[in-house]
Amino acid sequence: MRAVRGVLHRATSGRVNGRSPAEQSAACALPEGLAARLAGVRVAFGTRQVLHDVHLDVPSGMTTVLIGRSGSGKSTLLRVLQRLNECLPGCTTTGRVLLRLDGRVVDAYSGAVGDPSWLRARMGMVFQSPDVLPLSIRRNMDMTLRHVLCLPETEVAPRMEEALREAALWDEVHDRLDENALGLSGGQQQRLCLARALALRPAFLLLDEPTASLDIASARAIEERITSLGHTRTVVMVSHGLRQALRLADNLVLVDAGRVVRVWNRHGAGLPDVAELEHHLED
Amino acid sequence: MLRRWKGGVVTTVCALCAASVALALVAIFAFLCLFALPVFMDGQGFAVIAGDWKPATGSYGVLPMLQASMGVAGIALVLGFPLSLGICCGMNGLAPSGVGQMFRGLVRCLTAVPTVVYGFAALFLLVPLVREAAGRGTGLCWLTASLVLALLVVPTMVLVMEAGMGPTVERVRLTGAAMGLNRGQVMVHMVLPLCWRHMAGAAALGFGRAMGDTLLPLMLAGNAVQSPGSPLESVRTLTAHIALVLATDSRSGTYGSLFVAGCLLLLLNLAVQLVLRVLARSGAQFRGRT
Amino acid sequence: MTVTLVGVAALLGVVLMRGLPALGPALLFGDVSPLAAMTGAVPVWDGIWPACAGTFALLMVALGLAVLPGIGCGIHLALFASPRTRVLLGLAVDLLAGVPSIVMGLFGFTLLLALRRTVAPDASTGLLLASVCLALLVLPVLVVTTRGALEALPAQLRLTGAALGLDTWGRLRHLLLPAAGRGILGGVLLAAGRAAEDTAVIMLTGVVASVGLPAGLGERFEALPFTIFYLSSQYRDAVELQRGFGAATVLLVLSLTLLAGAWLLQRVLERKWRGVLPVSHCQGTSEDIR
Repeated sequence: MRAVRGVLHRATSGRVNGRSPAEQSAACALPEGLAARLAGVRVAFGTRQVLHDVHLDVPSGMTTVLIGRSGSGKSTLLRVLQRLNECLPGCTTTGRVLLRLDGRVVDAYSGAVGDPSWLRARMGMVFQSPDVLPLSIRRNMDMTLRHVLCLPETEVAPRMEEALREAALWDEVHDRLDENALGLSGGQQQRLCLARALALRPAFLLLDEPTASLDIASARAIEERITSLGHTRTVVMVSHGLRQALRLADNLVLVDAGRVVRVWNRHGAGLPDVAELEHHLED
Repeated sequence: MLRRWKGGVVTTVCALCAASVALALVAIFAFLCLFALPVFMDGQGFAVIAGDWKPATGSYGVLPMLQASMGVAGIALVLGFPLSLGICCGMNGLAPSGVGQMFRGLVRCLTAVPTVVYGFAALFLLVPLVREAAGRGTGLCWLTASLVLALLVVPTMVLVMEAGMGPTVERVRLTGAAMGLNRGQVMVHMVLPLCWRHMAGAAALGFGRAMGDTLLPLMLAGNAVQSPGSPLESVRTLTAHIALVLATDSRSGTYGSLFVAGCLLLLLNLAVQLVLRVLARSGAQFRGRT
Repeated sequence: MTVTLVGVAALLGVVLMRGLPALGPALLFGDVSPLAAMTGAVPVWDGIWPACAGTFALLMVALGLAVLPGIGCGIHLALFASPRTRVLLGLAVDLLAGVPSIVMGLFGFTLLLALRRTVAPDASTGLLLASVCLALLVLPVLVVTTRGALEALPAQLRLTGAALGLDTWGRLRHLLLPAAGRGILGGVLLAAGRAAEDTAVIMLTGVVASVGLPAGLGERFEALPFTIFYLSSQYRDAVELQRGFGAATVLLVLSLTLLAGAWLLQRVLERKWRGVLPVSHCQGTSEDIR
């Protein structure tokens, strides 16, 4: 019966191979090996144009790092992927952003998406300063587990442990989950934010200068996590430090005045050295 | 799927709520103006506002009441403003710090005291005092009402002033101390000049509140219809007038002037709000320049 | 500062001193047994129980009418409104807040007249009309406190909510409203206090001196503030005067209890949202761990 219904549905909706015509053309525009493609993306806040005609390819399963001077639009570019700019007042975005989510290709800014919150839930974002909620650690994790994913009661605790282990925080907090998250150190708070995002099992991990507000030891810990996480999922990161960028990037993108100026690939032509990067930045 | 249109429902509901609030305001103004309009059309015209109240001769003017309202509120402001200023300065450093904190809590409690309780207490405490001090009259007069009104509006004025003074004091305290000024001098020469807009705002708000109060003038001011002369005379404010006329259920000839009185009160309220907005906007420009 | 303190203390002291001794079942129920009075089996003529019941009924209906539009409008202003709407609607709310209570009662009266002329020829003043006017009166308090509570939240909170994948309703329900819950609840209790103590509105829309327990939405009713007012000018002997003082004490205690209740509930709510262990259960505070 279900098979008959499936055939009828496919026949009446014009789908081919399980995809609608729109999805078909979108899939063609996003080759295998790419997790995301930005084409002609422009972002303005009121009258101030922040991103001008950006074209960028984000390869799957690798770490892409965006660098550039402050005010060059790196964070805005990162937020484009998760459609977060819309939450800021006066924002207009044009262009096409294709994302590969759950095996399907989605045009993130098309009308077919509807309410973007399901899209955002397929990606995890970590901000520059740790934005833990002033609640207990457990309640922080509950935000994603219970309220976004709506997991049944039995799955909440195991998923929470899994996420906290992935963020290398479980050993430090497993016995004080009901204490206020604000009592954690800066590095621990940032790892909690990471865990909170990882609980979504996201396809993309978006990191906006995640170590900017941390001391060296905590920053190293986070970098270690990023390296290990980068093997299994697509990581897009904004970095404030050139050396950090060179350490972590598989794909290095230089952003200047709202445009993508140059892209280097570690496994292709290779990454530049620090002096060359500084030179580019000063231009 | 369900989640998707839940967001839409929420925003629609909130927008409807906002619309209903705006609608309520428009309705209030509209109804009162509509009912007051016939009074002007009937030929009585501005005699209602400018004339005297003599129902026997068919003159339903509310001028004495208007004068009384302004007088009562004015004296209340004159008495209450210095008190509020003193409390505010005290809370912000001129008094020992423990006392200041205590006052903050106390003032917040005072805003909760019902008006009618003030009136009731004043009736049995203040009125005999005033009667004896004046040596004549019943003690129910302009002065009594203003005194208690002042006490009523002080907490509100203090809270508004404090909202402006607190942050300003924080900003300039260190600067002033570094220049060698003591606390009193910092207050007088630095804080007060910077906060004058908040002061003016508090005064406007206090005046508006005093104008709009009904119970205290009704219970304490005597309710005689006459132009206010000495503070020891009995007067009737606009608010008390409305209450008295409607409560005694007289014939509808007098109702027209009530609606006019209501409109006058609304207009005065509008004026107060505009003054507050002008002050706020000029304050914002000032901040932008520095 | 001391002047205000002395003045207020004197007034309130008088009320309490003469009112506290009057407290007791006799104050509330007169000669009737408490159980019979509360169930309405026997009418109470010399106690203030009907007035208390009337005030309670008034509070419930008025708050029931005002809570949803007030909080919804506040949410709209803080989160969803365009800048132009924000300015206009903000002005509307401030104007509504400045409308004197007697004018609100007058509006209710005109509403009644309009209803009588059009849809419901035998409409009369009563609990529903008074509650509607009271709801309009306390609406601005709810809007302003809700808006203030939401706008005081850090801007990052909304971005965090969106980044986690919560939709509009999810953000409101799980993040924003719980975080602002303290302030919103405070606003509701402030509104309750205002509704309980206002006299002028109900004077024009259906309160009377003695009619027994509130019989229905369209019926006249008694209320504490009006009873106090009535007794202040119409008391016939010392017993009635005592009753007045007792009633004033009860109203004062009610208002202050609402304020205290607000403070307590806010503390509990905050602790519940944070989900943290009380400090006494840990070895030290969580700050020590850093």
